[in-house]
Amino acid sequence: MRAAVRSGWRIGAAAAALRGRAGRPLSQAAGEGGGAEGGGGSGSREAVERLVREHPVVVFMKGSPAQPLCGFSNAVVQILRLHGVEDYRAHDVLQDPDLRQGIKNYSNWPTIPQVYLNGEFVGGCDILLQMHQNGDLVEELKKLGIRSALLDAEKDQEKK
Amino acid sequence: RSFASQTDGESRLVRVLREKFPRASAIKVVDISGGCGAMYEIHIESEEFREKRTVQQHQMVNQALSEEIKHMHGLRIFTSAPK
Repeated sequence: MRAAVRSGWRIGAAAAALRGRAGRPLSQAAGEGGGAEGGGGSGSREAVERLVREHPVVVFMKGSPAQPLCGFSNAVVQILRLHGVEDYRAHDVLQDPDLRQGIKNYSNWPTIPQVYLNGEFVGGCDILLQMHQNGDLVEELKKLGIRSALLDAEKDQEKK
Repeated sequence: RSFASQTDGESRLVRVLREKFPRASAIKVVDISGGCGAMYEIHIESEEFREKRTVQQHQMVNQALSEEIKHMHGLRIFTSAPK
């Protein structure tokens, strides 16, 4: 029954990412954000800490949930949508170079997107996909008091 | 791809991973940017990942390849411990 729900998701993420916004190499972001640690800038540890604690589900991505600008960011949005999670905080790092570097410093993780559940860094697109496929995401959402839409989808299928 | 040998980038990454993960039972690196070295997919199975959360396993790979990652646009990581 799970397979029927999962099959709606096509892994076109990598292809989509290559098609358009390749953007900068992961090192260049380091250059621009080098000084961002100082005095409460949007990329400072304190600022990022505030953002990740703002909501049980916080995502740092390229673009917005309505218009993701990267295949991997889109993957995160789609997975959350499958679980019925539409109410979360999303931050577009393309709009804020200090945040773009700050979030990488904070999590010690070189890539975007980054998913935080209850203020804790969970991982990027690959990890979220794995959690979705092995059922962990449903469990983690439950811990946050969020009932995954997939549980209801399964219930409907069982009734049939 | 059956006739294509590894790209230089792929070989280098495999070499670094072999060094940093001596107990790895399987390592596979694929250039998914069409040979441009911009994006890689890394598969690695090692006893060193046992009992660690996925995000910790991926962090170990990030640290191991921190120098190489600076020159990439992105990467995908798939880790596991041997069954």
